[in-house]
Amino acid sequence: MRSRDGNLTFSLRLCSIIFFSSLALNASEYLISYRYVVKNATLYNEILHISNAMQPCHGKTQQTLILESNNSSDLRKIISQNSQEFTEFIHKLGLHVKHEDITINSQNSSTTILTLKTTCFKVDFNDNFASISPLK
Amino acid sequence: MKYFMLLLALLGTSSLIVADGTVDNQAVPITSNITKVEKVLSTTSSVRISVVGQGVAPMNTSSPAQAYALAKRAATADAYRLIAEKVKGVRIDGQDLIKNMMVKRSIVRTSVQAMVRNANVVETTFKEGLCEVEMEILLSHSDFAQ
Repeated sequence: MRSRDGNLTFSLRLCSIIFFSSLALNASEYLISYRYVVKNATLYNEILHISNAMQPCHGKTQQTLILESNNSSDLRKIISQNSQEFTEFIHKLGLHVKHEDITINSQNSSTTILTLKTTCFKVDFNDNFASISPLK
Repeated sequence: MKYFMLLLALLGTSSLIVADGTVDNQAVPITSNITKVEKVLSTTSSVRISVVGQGVAPMNTSSPAQAYALAKRAATADAYRLIAEKVKGVRIDGQDLIKNMMVKRSIVRTSVQAMVRNANVVETTFKEGLCEVEMEILLSHSDFAQ
């Protein structure tokens, strides 16, 4: 024979599992990668990839960047409105530098590629701002 | 006459010896005064590396503001490259093709690959289409400790 207390505990546990799993599924985690190419001292190409994380990311949050969101929950829009701050933030996180320089018969040409490898970011959207922090 | 020539030769050699001696005496203190101080990363202190990267804007920009932004991006990449070269070093490969005792083709390749983190922009200047970004990085022993 089951007691009422036992049923209550079971239903509470079930509810909490559903609640936390729904939180995990709706967690605002994004995968961001950044790459830019400089050829002969001139910017040639710049790419910023943003996509929703299909699987939950693991790790602890690092430095946090707070950007104005104006009640928006579209990360692409927020970043495009604050592109300068976000680029500086990415630079602070660390970029991989690859430089190649070739001189043929005293004629020089160079290529520099700066890359942020695909990194998971946790994003919290609030009323007027969004806080973005990388997970590591 | 023979004795005179001999005396002249002796005087010449002795003056040379004296001249050599004086030159040596003067040279010694000059070389000893030059002290080369090399920055070495120790466990107690840190080393600050400062570089100036240069970049230019592309020809087909729609506004001066865009030109500035693009030139700054290029200069930042150059500064990152300079930091990587200073900290990690440069790989250099050279190849010369010589045919019939003449250099036909000369190729020099340089490359560097590194991860740069915590570099700070100190100053940015933009003058006559050239953007210069002064960047510095503070290196401490713990950055390299494993």
